[in-house]
Amino acid sequence: MAFELVVNGTSHTVDADPQTPLLWVIRDHVGLTGTKFSCGIGQCGACTLHIDGRAVRSCSVPVRTAVGKKVVTIEGVSPDGNHPLQAAWTELDAPQCGYCQSGMIMSALALLREHATPSDADIDAQVTNICRCGTYHRVRQAIHLAADLLKAPGRDGVR
Amino acid sequence: MSETTGVNRREFLATVAAAHGAFVLGFWVPSRADAQTTPTPNAAWYQDPATPEINAWIVIAPDDTVTIRIAQTELGQGVWTSNAMMVCEELQCDWSKVRPQYASANRDAREKAPEWTLTVPGQGAGDPKGGGEPTFGNRDRTGVSGIPDSLYRRMRTNAASSVKDGRYYLQLAGAEARERLLLAAAKQWNVPVTELTAKSSVITHASSGRTTTYGQIAHHAAETPHPHPETITIKSPDQWTLMGTEQKNLDIPLKVTGKTVYGIDVRLPGMKWAAVKACPVYGGDVKSYDFDKVRTMPGVRSVVQFPIPDPALTRGRVFSGGVAVIADSWYQAKTALDKMPIEWTIPPEHAAFNTANMHATLLASLDQPGRVRVDHGDVEAAFARAARIVEATYSTPYLPRARMEPGNATVLVTNERVDIWIGDQSPQETRFSAAKITGIPEENVYLHLCHLGGGFGRNGNGPQAEHAIMIANANRGIPIHMLWTREEDFIGTTYRAMGVARLKAALDADGWPIALDVRTGMQGGGFGPEASFDVTSRYFVPNYRYSSHTTTFHVPVGTRRGVGQAAHEFYRESFIDELAHAAGKDPYRYRRELLARTSLPYKDDMIKALDMAAEMSGWGSPLPKGKARGIALEERGAEGNGMATISAMVHTVSVSRDGKVRLERVDVAHETGFGLVNPLSVKKQIEGQITWFYNDAVHQASTIAEGRVVENNFNAFPISRMSEDPPEINIRFFPTQHWLLGMGHDRATSVQSAIGDAIFQITGKRYRDLPYAKHDLRWS
Repeated sequence: MAFELVVNGTSHTVDADPQTPLLWVIRDHVGLTGTKFSCGIGQCGACTLHIDGRAVRSCSVPVRTAVGKKVVTIEGVSPDGNHPLQAAWTELDAPQCGYCQSGMIMSALALLREHATPSDADIDAQVTNICRCGTYHRVRQAIHLAADLLKAPGRDGVR
Repeated sequence: MSETTGVNRREFLATVAAAHGAFVLGFWVPSRADAQTTPTPNAAWYQDPATPEINAWIVIAPDDTVTIRIAQTELGQGVWTSNAMMVCEELQCDWSKVRPQYASANRDAREKAPEWTLTVPGQGAGDPKGGGEPTFGNRDRTGVSGIPDSLYRRMRTNAASSVKDGRYYLQLAGAEARERLLLAAAKQWNVPVTELTAKSSVITHASSGRTTTYGQIAHHAAETPHPHPETITIKSPDQWTLMGTEQKNLDIPLKVTGKTVYGIDVRLPGMKWAAVKACPVYGGDVKSYDFDKVRTMPGVRSVVQFPIPDPALTRGRVFSGGVAVIADSWYQAKTALDKMPIEWTIPPEHAAFNTANMHATLLASLDQPGRVRVDHGDVEAAFARAARIVEATYSTPYLPRARMEPGNATVLVTNERVDIWIGDQSPQETRFSAAKITGIPEENVYLHLCHLGGGFGRNGNGPQAEHAIMIANANRGIPIHMLWTREEDFIGTTYRAMGVARLKAALDADGWPIALDVRTGMQGGGFGPEASFDVTSRYFVPNYRYSSHTTTFHVPVGTRRGVGQAAHEFYRESFIDELAHAAGKDPYRYRRELLARTSLPYKDDMIKALDMAAEMSGWGSPLPKGKARGIALEERGAEGNGMATISAMVHTVSVSRDGKVRLERVDVAHETGFGLVNPLSVKKQIEGQITWFYNDAVHQASTIAEGRVVENNFNAFPISRMSEDPPEINIRFFPTQHWLLGMGHDRATSVQSAIGDAIFQITGKRYRDLPYAKHDLRWS
């Protein structure tokens, strides 16, 4: 069954079973592989993306729920890879293997939308992605740094 | 049969590469994964005749871009950067123009290593000017360790050895290329080479003021052999300018934008997907399946039954037979497979195993004679005159690696060659497997290496590649992307062996040990079954006996991060804490004294680590109720005078009244040896391993029921999140006078015993079996 899906501002015609998890449509039909598969049961957050600005674990959401809404993936966070979150991640050399980091950044992006100055408790509560390499320490610092960068003159928070 | 059948091979592969924007020349085709760093527009590629390589590791393009070939796999440890740093240091090229690229495992099958890489310079572990003490082993490409004589030497990524084993020849590779660039410039200018200097990719002849760049002279250097490459030396740490500095990993820009290419991201024209179910009981196989039930489901193409992978290809380990459904998309394949009836043939003796009876067998093995590895002095006599005897039995569970990227590989088999796209910790072994399974010689096997979404112990020894090759071999001409579910990944992995240990000490009237009897029990085939206790006791005791006791179970065990070392350091350091408490002495001072009494060559380094960690942590200063500190020594190799890695950590731990453990603060004192290649990577490795061993200590266990592993996804197998990360981690380094063994797998083992001792201090309860979360930690 064919339908339209808007991903990162671009409309894609997708022919898939509407029950297919959004993750697989994004990876295999739309062709964006930055969103990762890991557990398939919504536990780890490697597949986190945004539907209408909300962080969603896309392995556990049927694609039909995203039809008519705006989907944003890691590829759509910034045109140049230089969003304050990405800049902060780079500054702190946060990733190790990197596999969970797309989801981690998408969770952090949603967090900063709600909390311009997140506390450690806010981070703990909202960034619940699994990282097996143990990058949590740097990810936390990177979130705080990104929050600061977002408040720099000329910026007006997370768009 | 497939869209690609009948298409000229070269054309097909060119299509593959063009689809992904990679550069295509010659017959070996790079995957997207060849450009893991920020892509250089129109980047030259090594078989481009316009850009000849200087040597097998180095290509310099006219625009001064330096491509450095990496023979280890980037799995988060930073090897993509640190290997390049070692080459760049000697090459003296502009670091900002370095672009790593995976080395060709196919060339490695065809070409021998240059003569000048075969001998390690210098005098071993204690010589700062040398190459340290690489482990050459039997030079078997398909073995556990060792450095083969094939072109890229050791392509394994294991045993925390990429720096230890590779540094000398990577430095030599950079130095050889630099010397040839200088020789080529000298020849062009007709001046003595000794009058030239090289810095940051520029060669200068000071007296004439002439300069050239590496990019301009590279073409000539490629045709200028070094007359005496055996005379080339490597820089010692006092001469390093790039090595030893904190460098960010070169692939971070890709990792924050989702552009990194892992094996799971490989896409080829005409590619089909395979989902797999293997018998959940190891050694089991397929009895029957009914493909007719799912044949007409959307996208479904075919089915392949595959046998238990030949144990000769999986280091003797017996995994399971299984079935794969092939479909247009993976989700279709998985959906059909889930609906397909499958019956298994399970060996009844395997189905009879469960955690309780396996644990009982291990415990019983401790009463058997075992293999006596060390027997110093007269242990029995010392026990007979002991003022006090302390005995404790510890247990550690089976543990999987549970990397984030589930096992996968994309394989295309034709009658002439095999192409494999994979993130792999042992491409040389995978190449061998491909040849054995398909009958196509290794020289015609091409691995297109990708980054790996977590490694933690040689994915090459699990059957991900073997599964994919068997499935693709049954579908020649069609590229097959095989992907395990998370649940299958828990079946396809090897486990750290379940283990037990009984430690018994005779104390004198002052509480110092006069005899120590250590017995460890572990499944045979596990790695590091003698670690930490062999050769000699690390803490002084005049009478010492150590025996290891092995048992045979059906669970495939392998080189999980930390190997046996991690379990054994938990046993050893926990017991030292227990002895200190029994003696009424401070666990830090007790350790310090027992190290001081030894004659171990690195005892001063071990004492330094303890002193520094204690001082950093404010050891001895009062803590509020519900908080406590634990200290432990971490060492590998400290029994001899070779390469070693030594650290000590203090863990400040809280336990709430309702039994919640929190690691509050970690103070790390770590030696640098003669030098760390990339101290930033080392810090990240330490931070990551604190989390790793915290999970081992507090949360994780794989249990066995009816012969199968029970926990097969992250709902049942817990992994800590941000909320459990220690709020404070302090890392300090101190210099020592030997080369290090490695940083990647047995740092922060101290978390295990330190949390245990803190729980004891806070709650009065001593738990000797991991993980702690299964125990009632409440106190009042």
